[in-house]
Amino acid sequence: MRMNLILEVLDIPGQLVSILNPISELGANVVTIVHKREIKAEESKAAIEIALEGERENLQAVIDKFKEMGVNLIEVDDKVRKEKLSAILYGHIIDKDLRDTFDRINAVDGLVVSDLQIKLNGELESTALITIELDIGKREIAYNKIMEIAKEKDYLVIDEV
Amino acid sequence: MEECKLVLMGFGAVGKGVAKAIQMKKDMVNEKYGISLKIVAAADSSTSAICQDGLDEELLLKTKEETCKLANYPECGSELSGIEILDAVDYDILIEATPTNIKDAEPAKSLTLKAFADGKDVVTSNKGHLALFYKELIEAKEAAGVDFKFEASVGGAMPIINLCQETLASCGISSIKGILNGTTNYILSRMTTEGMSYENTLAEAQQLGIAETDPTQDVEGIDAACKVVILANSVLGIDATYSDVEVRGISDVSLDAIELAKEEGYFVKLIGGVSEKQLKVSPRLVKKNSPYAIDGTLNLANVTTDLADDITVMGKGAGSLETASAMLTDLINIIKNK
Ligand SMILES: NC(=O)c1ccc[n+]([C@@H]2O[C@H](COP(=O)([O-])OP(=O)(O)OC[C@H]3O[C@@H](n4cnc5c(N)ncnc54)[C@H](OP(=O)(O)O)[C@@H]3O)[C@@H](O)[C@H]2O)c1
Repeated sequence: MRMNLILEVLDIPGQLVSILNPISELGANVVTIVHKREIKAEESKAAIEIALEGERENLQAVIDKFKEMGVNLIEVDDKVRKEKLSAILYGHIIDKDLRDTFDRINAVDGLVVSDLQIKLNGELESTALITIELDIGKREIAYNKIMEIAKEKDYLVIDEV
Repeated sequence: MEECKLVLMGFGAVGKGVAKAIQMKKDMVNEKYGISLKIVAAADSSTSAICQDGLDEELLLKTKEETCKLANYPECGSELSGIEILDAVDYDILIEATPTNIKDAEPAKSLTLKAFADGKDVVTSNKGHLALFYKELIEAKEAAGVDFKFEASVGGAMPIINLCQETLASCGISSIKGILNGTTNYILSRMTTEGMSYENTLAEAQQLGIAETDPTQDVEGIDAACKVVILANSVLGIDATYSDVEVRGISDVSLDAIELAKEEGYFVKLIGGVSEKQLKVSPRLVKKNSPYAIDGTLNLANVTTDLADDITVMGKGAGSLETASAMLTDLINIIKNK
C-alpha cells in the first residue's frame, strides 16, 4: 500500500538523509519526495512531503520510528496531525495580562494559541474560551500549562474531556 | 423449591422500588432459578414490619404511603428499627437502601458489617460507606465469605460495575470518565438550551423534584465524587477514599461560560474521571457530537480498555424502579452463584 506523509525537518544539511535512512531499513520504499515550500513550517524548519510504498506494518514501523526520532508529522494520508484543545478560563482575564498568557503558551514547543473568544462582564471577571493548536501527543503538556497559568492567575478552568 | 429471605433496610424511593420490583419479578425469578423471594422484614427510620412467613409487597407499599410508618402494617407492625431487626429475623440477604451519609457512613456501615459477621450477603444502593470505608468493608466481606454487591450505588440503573468486573473480564481498564450525577446534568442541560441562570435552573429543578431542597451533595460534586471512589476501588483496584478526590461542582459555572462553549461547539458537563493518575470531579467541555453530549438526568460512562478500546454506556442514574432494577439484578446474581 501507499502512504503520503508531510513532515517537518530542520532546514540544515543532512537532515533529509537522516529521515530517508530508516525508511529503507524498515522495508518501505520512497516513491516521491517534494519540498513543500507553500507550507509555512516553523522557523528554521522545512516541510517535506514523502510518498511511501510498503506493507501496512512496515509503513507503521516508519511512522513509529519517526515519532521516536522526534520528527514532527504534520499530515498522514491527508489527515492533519495537529490537534486542538479548548478550555474556558474564568477570572480577571484582561487585568492579569492576557498577552503574558498567550506568550507563555506559545513559548511551549508545539503549542500555538489559535483562537480566543471572550465575554466581558463590565468591570467584573470575564469568561474566555481559548483554543490551542498542538502537535499530536502534546495534550498533556498543553493541559499542564493552562493549569499552571490558571493557578497563578487565579482562574477557574473548564477543560476539555 | 428453595426460599431466599430478604430484609429491606430503608423504605424510601429505592426501598419501595425494590418491593415493587420483587412483586413484579418474583414469578420470573421463581421460574428461571427455582427460588422464591420473600421479604421477611422491611424497615424505615424508626419502625418496621416483620413476618417470618413473608410480607406482602403491595401491603407494605400501601402502609408506607398511607400512614408513613411501617409499624402500621397489619399484625406484623413493629417498633423495632435498625440493627435490632437483624437479630429479630432469620434471613439470607440484606437489601440496604438507607440514606447516604458521607460523614460517618451510618447506619449503612454498622448494618453491613453486622450482616457480614452473621454470614449474610448484602446488596446496597448506598454510597457513603463505600466511599469512606471501601477497603474495610471488602476485607470484612472476604473474611466472612459472603457476597457484597453495589451496582446501584453508581449510575442507578446504568450497568457499570458488573459490566467492568464481569462482562469485560478479559480487559484491563485504564480509565473511566462519565456523567455520574443526573441532577447536575439536568441543570447544565437546561442552562444550555434555555439560557437560564444557574440559580433559576436550580430552583426549577427543585420544583420538579429533580434536585433536593438541600442540593449541596449534587451541585458541589460530592455525590459524583463518591461514585468516582467506588469505581476507583471496585474497577481499577485503586485503594482510594473520598478525600483522595479533587472535587469541584457546578455552582460556579456561569451562563457566560455555557454560552461561549455552545458558540464554539461544546457543552459543559460535570465529569467524574477515574484513572491511576487522578481522581477528579469537575465541570468540563465536551464536543457537541460526542457521546458525552447527553441531555436531562441521564448518566453516562466511558470505559477505556486495553483489548476492547472504548466502551460507552448510558442510562437512568436515578429513579425508584430504575435503581431497584440494579439491586434486583445483584440479588439474582448472588442467587445464581450459590
Ligand atoms: N433515589 C435514587 O434514585 C437513588 C439512586 C441510586 C442510589 N441511591 C441511594 O439509595 C439510598 C436510598 O435512597 P432513597 O432515594 O430511597 O432515599 P430516601 O427516599 O430518603 O429513603 C431513605 C429511607 O431510609 C430510611 N432510613 C433513614 N434512616 C434510617 C435508619 N437509621 N435505619 C433504617 N432506615 C433508615 C428512611 O426512613 P423514613 O421513611 O422513616 O424517612 C427512608 O425510608 C441512598 O443511599 C441513595 O444515595 C438512590
